[in-house]
Amino acid sequence: MTVAQHPVIARGAVLAAGQRSIPWLRIALSILALAVLLYLPFVLQSRVLFGTRLTNMQLLNIGLAQVNLTLIAVVGALSLNFLTGCAGLVSIGHAAFFALGAMGASFAGSQLGLPFLVTLIIAALVGALAGVLAGLPSLRVRGLYFVLSTLAVHFIAAYLFSEFQYAFHDVAGVTMPDAQIGGFELSNGIRWYFFLLPIAFLAYVLFRNTLRFREGRALLAMRDNELAAAAAGIDVRILRLKAFAFSSAIAGIVGALQAYYLTTVSAEFYSLNLAIQFIAMIIIGGMGSLSGSVLGAVVWLLLPALIGGLATELKGSDLALARIIVEHKPQVVNLVFGSLVAILLIYAPDGLAGGWRRIKAWLANRPTGGAS
Amino acid sequence: MSAPLPLIDVRGVSVAYGGKAMALSNIGLTVPERGIVALLGANGAGKTTLIRAVSGLLKHHHGHLTGGEISLSGTRIDGMAANRIVRLGLGQAPEGRLVFKHLTVEENLEVGASVLPRSATKERLDVVYELFPKLLERRTQQAGLMSGGEQQMLALGRALASKPKILLIDELSLGLAPLIVRAIYAQLVKVRDSLGTSMLIVEQNARLALDIADHAYVLERGQIMLSGTAAELKASDRVRELYLGAATPAVAGGRA
Repeated sequence: MTVAQHPVIARGAVLAAGQRSIPWLRIALSILALAVLLYLPFVLQSRVLFGTRLTNMQLLNIGLAQVNLTLIAVVGALSLNFLTGCAGLVSIGHAAFFALGAMGASFAGSQLGLPFLVTLIIAALVGALAGVLAGLPSLRVRGLYFVLSTLAVHFIAAYLFSEFQYAFHDVAGVTMPDAQIGGFELSNGIRWYFFLLPIAFLAYVLFRNTLRFREGRALLAMRDNELAAAAAGIDVRILRLKAFAFSSAIAGIVGALQAYYLTTVSAEFYSLNLAIQFIAMIIIGGMGSLSGSVLGAVVWLLLPALIGGLATELKGSDLALARIIVEHKPQVVNLVFGSLVAILLIYAPDGLAGGWRRIKAWLANRPTGGAS
Repeated sequence: MSAPLPLIDVRGVSVAYGGKAMALSNIGLTVPERGIVALLGANGAGKTTLIRAVSGLLKHHHGHLTGGEISLSGTRIDGMAANRIVRLGLGQAPEGRLVFKHLTVEENLEVGASVLPRSATKERLDVVYELFPKLLERRTQQAGLMSGGEQQMLALGRALASKPKILLIDELSLGLAPLIVRAIYAQLVKVRDSLGTSMLIVEQNARLALDIADHAYVLERGQIMLSGTAAELKASDRVRELYLGAATPAVAGGRA
């Protein structure tokens, strides 16, 4: 048997050995994590934990809606990190695939009257097709020129979406049909949560397994050295298009889920800013790291809520710092994110996931016999 | 002694980079089954270009064939993409030991073996590990963290993992200690003897190259100046003077 250690997520024999010697700890932690994830939406909904009423700040000012949007963003960050971090294709056009996926799902749902789950598949197909087209320039151009070609893809998709919006809907935006599975409607936050949680989990497993198998391995090899990959018998052109199609298919689903969840999305929603936010998520979480994608999306979506909660809490306080936070909340959020990115780039260029990996390796290697 | 069908047959090949002057002109070269053939020549003579032409990597360096043909076991491969040529049985260890730095040793080898059917991967990796036991030791290590010599072994191991009929090796000795280079070459001769893998090697150290090769070609300014068996070339005055640093400068009549 080969030791199928994930090359990106958990490198280093130290960690691998640690994990193998105490699988019970891992199992226990997994069960605990699952229990927390299952109980979380009810806590957030009722704002009660084991019968104790929680204040807003004890819940870190996080609501179920934010958590649901985070779950969707997690899948989006995974798909972008697969493309940029794992395949080495930097794209600032990821919002384009969200837009096209939403458009595909809306058309399939409203105009063709297809059921919710089928519209998600259509969104994936639209995304994959657009991904292959968007990936074509990668066969000829590299580096910055390729990034520019993804920028072009973004504006083309934004244009298509606004045309679609005005052709079938109105200024308010594209209104999605109800999300129904059979007769079961995703009518509230809790239902959405239990729909989105398995999807995020499945997406994670899907990407992780893809990277472990032959094609994914080849993808990582291509990112490391394209010439050597070709010399090893890998068809780098086809592989690149496949990576693009796969990533964009998932991004298409993300776009559709986003639109369904928000019920109405307009062309303005798919700004360049949205694409850049996802780039920020994977930088914060860790380029090329799947667990980093999850961390990045969680931090990016939940930290602003935390700062917002802090601002509310501090209202009326006389401290200068408190007043700055209260009066300039959006700027403080930007400041915190800006600083976070700067600090990470200096001290942990491989993001939160990389930093965590190094802390664990450091703990395991401490001379004063800590964990072994 | 003419072999029935050479494994590699290069006929009248000329190469140019971009719109610039000829890098190679009218090259003819053959590599027989189970043969080790060395390419000698000074920097810029065109050795690497010839290797690239055979391996199909010329396009990646903006070069192209302006004439001639190349075949591998009778199949025309000039103009074919590098990855397809690999599938026909040509393994390559390109110049500069291009290992996949972020993958482990074993993952590097698995990428190399990915042209084989999945079921054959494990068996092939065992063959490679047997040839380079050091790689087995370092199996789970990240390739980029290994020493230069180990990376070179990995580059060769990865090329061998594709079960090639012929191995192209470009400048294996670059930046490595002479002792390590000798050891790796000794191992390669063993590979040829046990697996029957042919080799076309580019080597700066002519003495070393002529020690392990059966045949050699001397390239100068894009043309083949001399060719013959290793023994013939070792005895040639010109080779001795220019590449072996012979201690007989008195009879040097070649160049003014």
